[in-house]
Amino acid sequence: MLRIEHYSKTYPGGKKAVDDLTLHVRPGEIYGFIGHNGAGKTTTLRAVAGVMDFTEGTITIDGRDIKKDPVGAKRVTAFLPDNPDLYEFMKGIDYLNFIADLYDIPADRRTKDIGRFGDAFELTGSLGSPIGSYSHGMRQKLALISAFIRRPKLLILDEPFVGLDPSASHLMKGYLAELCQGGSAVFFSTHVLEVAEKLCHQIAIIKDGRLVKSGPTEQLVGDSSLEDVFLELEGDK
Amino acid sequence: MKKFFALLKVSVKSMLLSSTNSRGNSRKKAATGAGAMLLIAFLGLYMSGLYSSMLMQVLAPVHMEVLVFIFMGMGALVGGLMFTTFAVKGVVFGGKDNDLLLSMPVSTTALMASRVSAIYLENLLFSFFVLAPAGAVCAFMTQSGVGHSLLFWVRLIVAVFALPLLDTALSVLLGALVAFLSARVSKGALGQNIVMALYMAAVVWFVFNLNGMIEGLAANAAGVKESLSWAAPMLWMADGIMGDWGLLLAFAACCIVPFAVVVFGLGKVYRQAVTAFAARSARNDYKLSAQAASGQKKALLAKEARRFFGTPMYMWNSGIGLMMLVAMGVAALVMRRDLQSLLAMVGGDFPTALAAAAVMGFCLSMCAIAAPSISLEGKYLWILREAPVREGELLWIKTGFQLLLSVPCTVIAGVCLAAALQLSLWEGAALLLVTLLFNLGHAAFGMLMGLAFPKLDAVNETVVVKQSLAVVLGMFVPMAVVGVCALLYLLGDMLAPWAALALPLVLLAAFAAGCVFVLAKKGPAMLRAL
Repeated sequence: MLRIEHYSKTYPGGKKAVDDLTLHVRPGEIYGFIGHNGAGKTTTLRAVAGVMDFTEGTITIDGRDIKKDPVGAKRVTAFLPDNPDLYEFMKGIDYLNFIADLYDIPADRRTKDIGRFGDAFELTGSLGSPIGSYSHGMRQKLALISAFIRRPKLLILDEPFVGLDPSASHLMKGYLAELCQGGSAVFFSTHVLEVAEKLCHQIAIIKDGRLVKSGPTEQLVGDSSLEDVFLELEGDK
Repeated sequence: MKKFFALLKVSVKSMLLSSTNSRGNSRKKAATGAGAMLLIAFLGLYMSGLYSSMLMQVLAPVHMEVLVFIFMGMGALVGGLMFTTFAVKGVVFGGKDNDLLLSMPVSTTALMASRVSAIYLENLLFSFFVLAPAGAVCAFMTQSGVGHSLLFWVRLIVAVFALPLLDTALSVLLGALVAFLSARVSKGALGQNIVMALYMAAVVWFVFNLNGMIEGLAANAAGVKESLSWAAPMLWMADGIMGDWGLLLAFAACCIVPFAVVVFGLGKVYRQAVTAFAARSARNDYKLSAQAASGQKKALLAKEARRFFGTPMYMWNSGIGLMMLVAMGVAALVMRRDLQSLLAMVGGDFPTALAAAAVMGFCLSMCAIAAPSISLEGKYLWILREAPVREGELLWIKTGFQLLLSVPCTVIAGVCLAAALQLSLWEGAALLLVTLLFNLGHAAFGMLMGLAFPKLDAVNETVVVKQSLAVVLGMFVPMAVVGVCALLYLLGDMLAPWAALALPLVLLAAFAAGCVFVLAKKGPAMLRAL
């Protein structure tokens, strides 16, 4: 579903944020991407989402090159940044319809999905209010709903658990699993190692822009915990 | 005081950086900021100098120079109010760093004072640009020699520093009202639009009355001064500048006291005010019904429209030119008899079509809708970047939104003016052609400026819409194009009648084609690089 081949990103001034990263996410997989602050996680996720340009390598989503066919690649993708700022001048329902229009989602399907996810995240009643009046958690939920209604083949999430209450986190994990059962893939970054260990089929650990370890979660963790593996690789233990 | 100055430094720095773009190194930022400031300073000084000298020509012979300072003082006060009232909502009460600063061990009065001082500095610039040229005109054009003494300049400086205190106090109070309405009225934008409409109506009433006063100035200058007794502080300021120290001190007190009351009064309740103005809780009574689908382009256009009409600051600042354009066209048609008799008095050689095109171009130049639209995306830009839409399409939708508003207004105004001025068919067609070409070039140029000088990290939309370099250039460069077109018309008229039309038409066509070409070729890459 997602193929990152020899991807590198150098910022103006010469700082190499990511160096020769290669990883593959297969359909039906939840892929966790972990690393310390400034390791290059967000830079990678933003490049995959087509939000940020990059210098070297190729990224293909469902066979579409993000540089050569960005519109095609984005059509099957949903991306959620770590702090999703949504148009405050819009009402929640207007934002969802705006996104649905951009992705050509038919009227009946969007109504059904907005109702389903809105009710599940207990946000339907507030969809008539301006986003400017939403709390941080409500915005996070709205952004998640806007991603789920797209039924993406690849869902890219940057720190999705930050700001969500425990029940919303639980719900989200369920929907991620459901999405993957339908053949989609999820690629997300997190600092919550317990969640990554329980949720992910595959995990990649990145340090100073370089991939230091990746593989199936059971293999990577072995008999210890992901926290132990992470700290060992980071050199903190 | 140490804390106050530290807070003031932050506010002033934020204000100074507001005209710069968010990309590039500090030297480039400083250069673009200084460039924008110089442009505004030049225009302010020029306009004020022009009006001051026009007034002084009438008033100096009857020894009523004092009226120049009354009128220019009023101009500075009203202009400053227009410039800063709507900025107060964002700068004083809606700063992004409010949470951070309110959590620090700083008194709310010091915080309020630092915020208000930033507004004061903006008003001070305005006051300086308006009163300093009036002083210079007074020094050169009066026979009494009052402007040649050092003390005159000392008194003028006192007035320049005092007037913005009154301006700031009034704009903070009005701004607080706007912020309150935005938070309390369910249709916040509608409330603000009503306040702004009333405000504009008051300004228009004032301008119309001012015109009447100026017309009869020479004959009845003393009477005009007496009729302005309702604006006593302005009279005190003017008499003070001309030599009455007592009245100058009274004027200074009239400015300092309201300022102090506003700063200390609102400072005491600053935390409560910020909380009340920001408190907008989401309702929980929405019932989902069947949703309708529309296409990508329609959705993106609707989003631009929602932002424009739902953001009073954006609509009134960027749309004022279009409102003026339509109002001017309709007014010309309604008062066509007066207009025609005026033209008959001027004489048959007056280039009526040129004047109509120049005025329309001036109004259209002020319609900077596309120029700030990229900066207004700011923190939301990720939504568009993530969307499956080509960059070029995004840019043309933003440019097209400006055209969608400006083209109908241009056609209405053009047809009205052509009818009112009794232009021939070909003159009317030429008027429409040149103004429509200008529309296209102006919108594309504004979009390019928005891409070249983005301000994605602005603390609020006021900074983007009013002060960003993209908007300044997006307005004044097309104004310069209008000026060059007028010159080319006059130059061409000396050669041959066809050249009078052909030369500006060629320039406008080149301007439009050049901007459209660069936007199409470079625009997508510029957007990608942001």
